[in-house]
Amino acid sequence: MIRVLFFGPVAERIGNNQAAVAFRPGIRLQDVRDELAAQYPQAFEIVCFAAANGEHVRDMSLPLADNSEVAFMARFSGG
Amino acid sequence: MKPAVRIQQEDFSQDEEIRALQASSKRMGGIATFLGCARDFSEGREVSEISFDAYGSMALSELDRLRSDAIEKFGLLDARIVHRIGTVKGGENIVFIAAGAEHRVAALEACRWMIDELKQRVPIWKKEITPQGEAWVTPHP
Repeated sequence: MIRVLFFGPVAERIGNNQAAVAFRPGIRLQDVRDELAAQYPQAFEIVCFAAANGEHVRDMSLPLADNSEVAFMARFSGG
Repeated sequence: MKPAVRIQQEDFSQDEEIRALQASSKRMGGIATFLGCARDFSEGREVSEISFDAYGSMALSELDRLRSDAIEKFGLLDARIVHRIGTVKGGENIVFIAAGAEHRVAALEACRWMIDELKQRVPIWKKEITPQGEAWVTPHP
């Protein structure tokens, strides 16, 4: 299982702060994004960044291990 | 002594943070600080409070990395970063950054660099709560 986290404006648009996507061998970060973006298009309009296991990821072809934690995030506004 | 990098709900003391920074080295000749506060007016509206959400574990590790990067990049003797989450009222403190170096230029430049980088790479989001409703903040360049 891939655990997906949402925060702030993305969580608000989804109406939840997490989701789960079934793991399958060879699954990539882009596959998880595509699956969720199809379900929550309004939320993914504002997604600018992705993270896997707490690290920024720019290459969406990153293969994911089972039990990975990923996040799709809007632009940050801390500080 | 409190850790040099923290994310916390409660307010912080600038004096305590500066004392902790100074205590780390007697070679420190310059300390630059940045204090970010909650404005009670934004985009033409009154703001009563600001609510923060964060990817806590990632935000803390990014802040830790940011501090290490600044120490290396600017040759700092030490640096501290504290960011509040939860709800902050207008006029209250949000974030404190302190950079200590042998000379002022490195301290000043590092302080500016750290707050700019924090806004780019640390997963924290703010929502302004106004009498007319709530809105997530769109970042300023």
